[in-house]
Amino acid sequence: MSGGDIAAIFQGAVVTVSLSLVGILIGLPIGLGLALVRWANVPIAAGIVTLYVSMLRATPLVTLLLLLFFALPNVGVPIGPISAAIVALVMNTSAFNCEVWRSALMNFPKDQYEAAQSVGMRAAQRFRRIVLPQIVRVSLPGLVNEMSLLIKVTPVLAVVGVVDITRAAVRIGSETYEPLPPFLVAVALYAPIVFALVSLQRWIERRQVAAEAAA
Amino acid sequence: MTSYLLVRSLSRRLMLGLLASQFALPMLAGRVQAASFDEIKKRGLIVATEDDFRPFEFVKDGKPTGFDNELIEDLRKYAPFEIKQEILPWTGILAGVSTGKYDVAITAAIITKERKQSLDFTSPIADATHYYVKRKDDKSISSIKDLNGKAVGVQAGSALLARLPELGAMLAKDNGKLGKIVEYTSYPEAYQDLALGRVDYVVNTVINLKTLVAEKPVFELGQPVSGKSFPAWAVAKGNTDLLAFLNGFIAKEKETGRFAELQKKWFGEAFPNLPVTFEPEF
Repeated sequence: MSGGDIAAIFQGAVVTVSLSLVGILIGLPIGLGLALVRWANVPIAAGIVTLYVSMLRATPLVTLLLLLFFALPNVGVPIGPISAAIVALVMNTSAFNCEVWRSALMNFPKDQYEAAQSVGMRAAQRFRRIVLPQIVRVSLPGLVNEMSLLIKVTPVLAVVGVVDITRAAVRIGSETYEPLPPFLVAVALYAPIVFALVSLQRWIERRQVAAEAAA
Repeated sequence: MTSYLLVRSLSRRLMLGLLASQFALPMLAGRVQAASFDEIKKRGLIVATEDDFRPFEFVKDGKPTGFDNELIEDLRKYAPFEIKQEILPWTGILAGVSTGKYDVAITAAIITKERKQSLDFTSPIADATHYYVKRKDDKSISSIKDLNGKAVGVQAGSALLARLPELGAMLAKDNGKLGKIVEYTSYPEAYQDLALGRVDYVVNTVINLKTLVAEKPVFELGQPVSGKSFPAWAVAKGNTDLLAFLNGFIAKEKETGRFAELQKKWFGEAFPNLPVTFEPEF
């Protein structure tokens, strides 16, 4: 394996990290929005969200991606590999995030909400000051779990030509006929990426504990 | 309560509609035609190549190279329009060409009867007679009849897999039969399993295997296990203008000797007697 090969795997790492980040950053708020629609039982919309979430949870990411990539251009929506990858990741992760957020919302004590209502807080205020801080804490482990799964599912994006860590490793293996060294480098790269995510989770949790102790 | 019921029935109708759209989408996909040659001249030619099919196309130090990629470089000079290249794994390439996502698959797609139903093929670019490869230290295999009952590795969805029955017929002459068939998404994994002893031989085209044994002397090339077989570039069925254009390019490359030169460079030998068109029996 040459230096150029290692550089190619690192380039793959940049793709893996940036696509995962974009997927997480867009999928997280969309998931929250979907969960709120279901929680508030918005007429019609809640039903659509339920259907959307169950359909996406039942669709393998690779199938969804191939469908988007090959079917959308035929209905007049030109879509490139990267955008198809992002749309598929966001659709997939938002459905799972929705359920994590919803579990936190369902367990949210109603009396707190009513207390906030009784002191005259408006809906947006109630959500921002009372609900959100508490559901974030409860949802965080589940959300980070989903994020780490998202990072590790990115190799399927290779079917439309996205070169992530694993695809870069496959390419090198097929050029040198020695697949093991590039795969070892690939495995060694995923670990720190997920570790960084978990560290971020711990840091947020510690900050919350400290904030509570101060209060 | 009534409003609740209304919501329920509405969402059920929506659900039915959405379910129906799932079926409508593929139907729409089937009807759309690939871009015509006039459209291609305006927007450029979109070619799709593989990334792990040495020596035809592979990536070295992050750059595409191999036989087909060098031809694409020549094609850029030959074509009076732009050439846009997409690099992706084998899995999506032929589907992408038949749905019009790419105009041509510039890869070694073996011409088969089944593929000819949805694709048209250019003039063959090499000889792809199928051979078997084995571990050099495996003394139990010295000729075709020794393959009786042994585990074979081959690429899933490939023409090589489809033509294994030919080998089965050869084995049947000596009262033998094919052993377990293990399918892989691509050949590097098959070679790795051969080295590890999980399969006893791997079937691939003579060119791929010659390159393999030159690079990895732990393997040894066997004998042909199929009749005539040729790889070519694939365009969507009925895209005759594009096909004629590409065949013109291949003919010119053959004439100038460039084709033979590239074949020698990447395959180790030139194939001067390739047919201009090929009708597959399988």
